[in-house]
Amino acid sequence: MSVNHQCSYDSGRRGNARRGLGSLGIVLGVTAFAALLLSFTVVAEVPGAIPPQGAHDGKDVAQPIEFPHNIHADVNKINCMYCHTYARRSKVAGIPPTSKCMGCHSVIATDKPRIKKLTEYWENREPPPWNKVHDVPDYVHFTHEKHLKRFVFDNDALPTENVSEVCAFCHGEVKTMTVAHKTKPLNMGFCKRCHEANHGPFDCWQCHK
Amino acid sequence: MSANKVNRREFMKIVGLSGAGAALAGCDMPTTVTLEEGKERVVSYLVPEEYVIPGIGVWFASTCQACPAGCGFHGRVREGRVLKLEGNPDSPINYSKLCQMGQASLQTHYNPDRLTQPLLRQNGELSPVSWDEAFKLLEKKIGAGSGVSGDKFAWVTGTVSGHQAVLIKAHLEALNSGNHFVHEVINTAVGQAVSRDMLGDARPRYRLDRAQAVLSFGADFLGTWNSPVHFATQYAKFRAAPRGVLIQAEPAMSLTGANADLWLPVRPGTEGVLALGIANSLIFKHHVDASHLPLTVRNLIANYPFIEVAKVTGVSGDLIERAAAMLKKHSPSLVISGPSAEGHVHGYESATAVMLLNILLGNVGQTIEPGHSFPLPQLAAREGNTADLLSFAEGLKNKRFDTVFFYGTNPVYTAPASLSLEEHLAKVPFKVAFSMFRDETTALADLVLPIRSALEDWGTHAAGYQPGEPVLGFQQPLMEPLYQTTRGMGDLLLALLTMQRASDYAPFADYYAYLNNFAAGLPAGVRHGAANDKEFWQATLQTGLIKLVGEARTLSVSASTADLPAYKVDSEYQYHLVPAARLGMWDGRHANIPWLQEAPDQITKTVWDSWVEMHPATAAKFDVKVGDYVRVSSAQGSIEAQAFIYKGIQKDAIAVPMGRGHTEYGRYNVDPTGKPRGVNPLKILSPVTDSKTGELALFATRVRIEKTGRTHELVKMGSNDTQLGRKLAATITSDQFNRTEGGKTDVA
Amino acid sequence: MSLRNLLENWGDYRKGREQGGHHKYEHMWGMAIDLNLCIGCNACSVACYAENNLAVVGKEKFEKGHALHWMRVERYWDEPNLGEARVSEYQVHGASFVPTNCQNCNAATCEPVCPVAATYHTPDGLNAQVYNRCIGSRYCSNNCPYRLRYFNFWSYYESSWPAPLHMQLNPDLTVRDKGVMEKCTFCVQRIRAAKDKAKMENRVVAEGGVVNVGDQPFKVAPGRAKVQDMEFQTACQQTCPTSAISFGDMLNPDSQVSKLWRSHQVELGKTSQKKPNPELRGYRLLEELNTDPRVMFLERVREV
Repeated sequence: MSVNHQCSYDSGRRGNARRGLGSLGIVLGVTAFAALLLSFTVVAEVPGAIPPQGAHDGKDVAQPIEFPHNIHADVNKINCMYCHTYARRSKVAGIPPTSKCMGCHSVIATDKPRIKKLTEYWENREPPPWNKVHDVPDYVHFTHEKHLKRFVFDNDALPTENVSEVCAFCHGEVKTMTVAHKTKPLNMGFCKRCHEANHGPFDCWQCHK
Repeated sequence: MSANKVNRREFMKIVGLSGAGAALAGCDMPTTVTLEEGKERVVSYLVPEEYVIPGIGVWFASTCQACPAGCGFHGRVREGRVLKLEGNPDSPINYSKLCQMGQASLQTHYNPDRLTQPLLRQNGELSPVSWDEAFKLLEKKIGAGSGVSGDKFAWVTGTVSGHQAVLIKAHLEALNSGNHFVHEVINTAVGQAVSRDMLGDARPRYRLDRAQAVLSFGADFLGTWNSPVHFATQYAKFRAAPRGVLIQAEPAMSLTGANADLWLPVRPGTEGVLALGIANSLIFKHHVDASHLPLTVRNLIANYPFIEVAKVTGVSGDLIERAAAMLKKHSPSLVISGPSAEGHVHGYESATAVMLLNILLGNVGQTIEPGHSFPLPQLAAREGNTADLLSFAEGLKNKRFDTVFFYGTNPVYTAPASLSLEEHLAKVPFKVAFSMFRDETTALADLVLPIRSALEDWGTHAAGYQPGEPVLGFQQPLMEPLYQTTRGMGDLLLALLTMQRASDYAPFADYYAYLNNFAAGLPAGVRHGAANDKEFWQATLQTGLIKLVGEARTLSVSASTADLPAYKVDSEYQYHLVPAARLGMWDGRHANIPWLQEAPDQITKTVWDSWVEMHPATAAKFDVKVGDYVRVSSAQGSIEAQAFIYKGIQKDAIAVPMGRGHTEYGRYNVDPTGKPRGVNPLKILSPVTDSKTGELALFATRVRIEKTGRTHELVKMGSNDTQLGRKLAATITSDQFNRTEGGKTDVA
Repeated sequence: MSLRNLLENWGDYRKGREQGGHHKYEHMWGMAIDLNLCIGCNACSVACYAENNLAVVGKEKFEKGHALHWMRVERYWDEPNLGEARVSEYQVHGASFVPTNCQNCNAATCEPVCPVAATYHTPDGLNAQVYNRCIGSRYCSNNCPYRLRYFNFWSYYESSWPAPLHMQLNPDLTVRDKGVMEKCTFCVQRIRAAKDKAKMENRVVAEGGVVNVGDQPFKVAPGRAKVQDMEFQTACQQTCPTSAISFGDMLNPDSQVSKLWRSHQVELGKTSQKKPNPELRGYRLLEELNTDPRVMFLERVREV
């Protein structure tokens, strides 16, 4: 892999320096333990953090492919950050590029209808047009990387494998869902209460832009 | 992952496949967001390049095309869109700085009035055709079997350099034609001729940073002269303690004039006389040694005692005296001439008189140093002028051409009405315009080919004025073309050449391959240690330029006399028209940029419209108040605009800014009633030329003025021209400044 | 804060350093603009348009005073402190240019009059405008002695960025809607990015305490980001062809801007500067109004 020298980043940014991707546990394949976990609906604890309070019943958002988060994140124990790889180094988590899907699915489950649809997109050189589920207003500045730093990478009590528990703060139990479904209000009160409980910054301009 | 095999160029293509959606990948495309889930798309990349991270900007280096100065910039790209440009710190032209035109070139790229498909004149109207049809037509008209060749064919362009210049030249050679007319209204052609004749180098380098005094005769080096951003960076050093003094002599205040310590209001056309008057004072009053000047020159200067000079130039004896004293006190100095001194019948002579001051003061070799040769002469800038416009117009009149190609210039807008360009062009059977916009020239073309913007295309560019070791600026696309139906200019030139010389040009898949091939052929000396072709290419794209190694030329001074005619009064047309050039509208090419229309003019603070600058004494004569519509008439026509009254203009001069009054240039040039915004002073210029160089004498037009009776508030920023006694812009003397900030008071 | 405390300590309160008050600074961003170098070219102004999603309003609305230019270059013809006589028949000493952006006053007159607290002082010392909180009373603009606040009289997103111009909009900040006041933010999106980066790299100052700027003590918060001087620049500063604009953290004594303030003997918290060397060039706009602005100007210079 050659390093590209043609560009530089905003303020020379690079990814998170504290813990590299190498520490992410990417476990492929089914484990018996996973099946066991499925039977519980307990929200696992994130040590050193008080989860935000509030619930919301979002509408079902149809997606071009009914992506099964449960199979990936729960059954196969794939770390959230394996696909949403930008979350730890950018303000946005990002939707994984189609090439990442194909990295596995050019060999795995190629006969399944959803994978056939995905392969069709890939062969047409066109990423699937995903619809947005979690959104905040334009005047809100939210950064994934700093939240992950606070609750995961700076939190020695939380193994990186359990990052989904932190994601669940705002995204709900995505690993029990197929396509993502909004279950948290993501409004100012929701953010504020969590910032209060966890001593986050409390200044308007931290989050409003 | 296949991403590793995809080079940057293919990556652009791939990103493009996801179309506008790619822009949304960062989840925060600015919209008035509703919080209803599922309303917005969040399209991912197909195969992103390693360095693409949504939400984080990536910076790419390229070369600015907003004027011919050739500044380098870095563009910030996020989610497939270029968002912001900043100066390239590696560029020896502009370091890390940009002017407002460079900043605003984003809006040339994203302009809503861009042409998106080829247009062909059918039944008198330009209507869309496919590229296939366009190429078939081109093949038929100028292809190998068309029979077009020689004198019948012409290219009319703005300043071109780099591989565009190479390919245009090759195309002309293939067609056996020598007709390349290179037209720029804002140019330094007369000054270059004088430098060539008196210093032996048409392109010497000016070292403001070394000067302790600068006397400029209408050279707006902070705004429109040669390389404004470069000179601004030098200006900062010039103004540091011990602070240099700036004296500006010109009929109407330019941006540089507004920054002068001493601004001399000189009657248009008498700049040469003023220069000799100052020389006279220096020799006879301040005893500057003139023994190194030939006797003829000393005799010439002796004929211009400052009392006489004051009468002719309108500059008071006191001001002439002060200018001479400053030049005597501060050394070394630098004396330069610009368009307002050079744009007369005797413009060359005036510039000669100005250059004599440099020779008298011993500035040559001190603050004027020889330029470097451009080691790849075929890539050097082919700089525009107005003499080419005149010979093109003459050719049109004589029906010399049956096929004309236009690129990077808008002569139908910039040519004076007296040239009847529109009328003569109508008789040319086949006119092709390569353009991003519908402008006055494009509107008359028979075939219009929409080209890519500077931020979407490949290219190489060399500035005409190279302030240091010569550099070749590299241009690379910062994003996928907004319109897939546009073509790169280089690609089009290659396609044209392939029609003629398939064996030479068909091997290049496209302009990118052509440039790649060029870079691979460069000698080791300019590769700055790159191990192989690929590494060199990467390094070039990263820095956005190739630093070449040129040889310093030598200066050989020959002081010749200047033949300055006596000043003549015109009793019918009593005033001189000054077509003022500004950093902003430039020659009119930036009039379709909303930011530049809204950014107030630096001197008058007027926005979105033209104005007529008048001295309060002149205004009083005609009972004109600020905002009154004034008619300015020359023998060639008249224009009307609102009066702006101030003391920054000579009493016999009337200034109207260039750049507005477009009849075709998109939505930002039309007012709500459908009329053009502003007026174009170039239209009413007299067809007078500089007798030595054949350049159009832009400042030689005489006009009369009338009050129209219409009036309206002049729309400008701020209502106060004075500080009303508050300490807003406080001023101290340079003695005090030098005392407190480390300089010396007397720098002799 | 009790009413009594408010009345007794009003001056300190306005300057954001009241006893037991809520202000603990993380940074105090300040600026210095050298009028000896400013050439009035407008590059700063247009760089600001590009960086900060400023709407273009057009001639007709410009005439009504609706224009938005956070960084505007004022041009004056007179030179009051060199004497009116210098401007006689001709403008022989050129013009005076003053680039004016929000002065980010420490005792901002706009802040106490906002009925909904949409404008307030941030721990960065910035005079913030929270767009989604603003109700458009325009009291702040009325109360700004510099006229540096700009009001959105229209929904410019409907007209100012016809496609594809809107693709240039900077996603790091919002596009303001009708009825919202806006102004220079010292490029808060760049500040935020630099602070975020510092924190991601664990560059923080662990302990809090008090930092003196001149003779003014400011409480500082523990755990603030350690942003290096010139680690980022504001858009106007970065493009300025003569480098007339300096910007940085005034709580960092080694920053370029702190050094400039010190070397020109301009101090915060004063309504007039008592400089040991009165010949030095630094001054602040209308500081006699007790606004305590954080932009210092260096006087223009002319050879006489």
